[in-house]
Amino acid sequence: MTTIDDFTRPKEYLTPLDTILGGIIRDWAEKEVIPYRREYDEDWREHRKIHEPMKKLLGEYGLQRVAFSDDLGGWGLGGSDYTCVAMYRMFEEMARADSGLGLAFGASMWPLELITFKPHENRRLCEEFAPMFCETNEAVFSAMVMTEPQGGSDIENLELLKGSTIRTTAVRDGDEWVINGHKLWASNTGGLARLMAVFCTTNPGSDDLNDFAVIYVLSDMPGVTHGTPYEKAGMASDMNSDVWFENVRVPLHYRACGPGEDAKWLGEIMSTGNMGIIAWFTGSMLNVYEKVVEFVNNKKYRGRPLKENDAVAGTLADYASTLEALRILGYQSARMLDRQDLYGERWRPQAVAKARAHRYFAADKCLEAIGRVMNLMEAYGADRDRDVEKHWRDLKILQLVEGSKQLCQVEVARWFYECETL
Amino acid sequence: MQQEDVFLYPRSRLKETDLTLASGIQDWAEKEVVSKRLEHQEDYDLLLKPALQKLMVDIGLQSVLWPEKMGGAGDNQTGSAYTVAAALEQVGRADTGIGFLASHVLALQASVAMEGRLNEKLCKDLAPVFGEGKEPAVVSFVLTAYGEEEGVPEWRGKCLQVRASLTGDEWELNGTGVRPTCSGSDADLYAVLCAVEDEDEPALILVKGEAEGLTRGAAFKKTGLAASLNADIGFDNVKVAPEMYAWAGSDSVRHLLSWFYLGLGATAVGSLLAAYEIIKEWGDNRVIKGTGHVFKENPLTASLMADAAHDTAVGRLLIYNLAEILSDPEAYGGAGSEGVFATASLIVHRIYRLAEDTLNHIMELMASAGYAKEWQLERYWRDIKTIQCHIGACELAKMDSARWFFKCETL
Repeated sequence: MTTIDDFTRPKEYLTPLDTILGGIIRDWAEKEVIPYRREYDEDWREHRKIHEPMKKLLGEYGLQRVAFSDDLGGWGLGGSDYTCVAMYRMFEEMARADSGLGLAFGASMWPLELITFKPHENRRLCEEFAPMFCETNEAVFSAMVMTEPQGGSDIENLELLKGSTIRTTAVRDGDEWVINGHKLWASNTGGLARLMAVFCTTNPGSDDLNDFAVIYVLSDMPGVTHGTPYEKAGMASDMNSDVWFENVRVPLHYRACGPGEDAKWLGEIMSTGNMGIIAWFTGSMLNVYEKVVEFVNNKKYRGRPLKENDAVAGTLADYASTLEALRILGYQSARMLDRQDLYGERWRPQAVAKARAHRYFAADKCLEAIGRVMNLMEAYGADRDRDVEKHWRDLKILQLVEGSKQLCQVEVARWFYECETL
Repeated sequence: MQQEDVFLYPRSRLKETDLTLASGIQDWAEKEVVSKRLEHQEDYDLLLKPALQKLMVDIGLQSVLWPEKMGGAGDNQTGSAYTVAAALEQVGRADTGIGFLASHVLALQASVAMEGRLNEKLCKDLAPVFGEGKEPAVVSFVLTAYGEEEGVPEWRGKCLQVRASLTGDEWELNGTGVRPTCSGSDADLYAVLCAVEDEDEPALILVKGEAEGLTRGAAFKKTGLAASLNADIGFDNVKVAPEMYAWAGSDSVRHLLSWFYLGLGATAVGSLLAAYEIIKEWGDNRVIKGTGHVFKENPLTASLMADAAHDTAVGRLLIYNLAEILSDPEAYGGAGSEGVFATASLIVHRIYRLAEDTLNHIMELMASAGYAKEWQLERYWRDIKTIQCHIGACELAKMDSARWFFKCETL
């Protein structure tokens, strides 16, 4: 019998831990998420049900520790040359159950990536923050707060705008930064994250990348106000809200990497983040495949299983072909980011542009394919109980995370065609 | 701005009463739906019930196509296809789900009360519901579906979910796990396409919501269409009076579906018009910070906005062309003919594909505001997809097209 494990992954790329990591998360998904996920949509505001599996995975199994080095109680993935393929497998298995949980985990890794990954590990901050993540069995989230009102994804367009449009300010006052600003939409906000990496400018209006700063803020610091979660079309597991910073004081060393370096290493988050998004797409597609197989085996048209109709089979083949190709693309994208010796450093515009190209291609193809099989299920395609529609809603939102499609297109065009004014 | 000024369409055959009705519905949309959406976001029922009452009863949408002598407005001629298109695009603009419900009511009325098809006995029985009714009528269809068991009677490859047999002078209906098109849990009337014992062709039999033996499950969760509390239903020896037998035969099935598709298509066009209004406001007011451009002045985003406008314009042209075809059976053939049905089917599938693509693209342009409930776009996106599922798989609908256009004989 053909299963989801028969879709190709380039085996020569896989981390030695692939089977163990994948097995743990698949087991977690089967026991802790899939039986309950149909109730998540109504839990968007409180995360009472959604929090339980995350507590188990992040806190008890310890996934929130993966990026910290061994000596700080972590798993040392931040220094591995299998980081991205390992993350790909974990993300994919999570998204098979719920891509929102995958995003919540991945987005929680982004702020830590800046200080745990080599060669830019910030040892002082790692030592300070590691206990928060490594010495507890509770789930601890972090958030990368970027988007601002009237800014949208502009802020991520550092290559062109160089941080000049950022309105959240960090002003040095003695041994502290004083932060003021208003952010929107970050994953794991709404009071969920304990640690936030805040995108700021130290010189409003400046287009000098030395003035772009990523500064860590603890959620319970005076002056931090969290808004109520937004209600969305899907992705209930990814909580988002406004966050206000009013004269929030943090120590000077809470800046992630330093002048110029914050902007440089942000590129790494963009490239690895886009890789993660592909993994969430293919993970969800694997589960949709399972659900569709069940449907077309059981439902009949002209007295035969639906899959035996040639026209239907054409659509089913398109779905399988899309998943097969996207999965190979996703693992290739991950491996390219791991093998910086062969493909170039992953913070560079080339890597970001290619990761964005892979991601938005994957998003378009995935959504088209899922939309078609959902239609194929006719009156049952939109049922919550069939699970496909949840993936369809969640993935549309995922398509627009970490930069809209048009931002992706512009970045791809800028690099591949050397555009100068986009 | 009036949408008619922007998205041109053939409207010379719209009657003054059609325009008045559409205008009244546009006014209803603003007062009863659009302005109350945020207020009732947490409890949609608070919006739905008064809105349905005003639309279907006070404005009278549920009596427009109903014969005058049975308490209706008497617009039960084929020319009312324009009325349906003009009215339902305004309903769909306000709320796709309400448009979906209204499409059922109008398609059923076209099927049983249209001049030339008037079923007097049945319509007399239904007059208290449609003609003189003081409550909004909720109509659900039970059409064909994929089967799971062997030996189930089919119509065009799909199973008839309910069997009917004549016992004495009553019809007796049986079927389990039946999936209706909408409102399974609370419809007033179910129009059930049945496999009739010893007959080759299906028949439509109407069953009232309170019928003994009719079991209605709890409403299930679904992608969209909050207006429809759908649930699987069951028929356990449901007895139905002979007057409730509407008609039989493939021609009548196609007639019902052609008019249903007209309503659904117009509803989708209304949703496209609403989406146009949303992205227009966004494009006018949003500023791309880095460049200082107003959103609509950026060539990339303007190009996608233009695509959305193209699809909206084409959808509207298509639906009024279908109205024209249905309004003139002498010129084009009856609504139940293979040619008209194939055309209605391809038009509704095409419009929903256009609507799906357009709403996807607009959501991409608006990014997080596109999928945030606050901005309302996502509601149309979910609703359109849900109806698209109900229209059926395009792979199988294309068989209807192939049969008509290429005279295929074995599909």
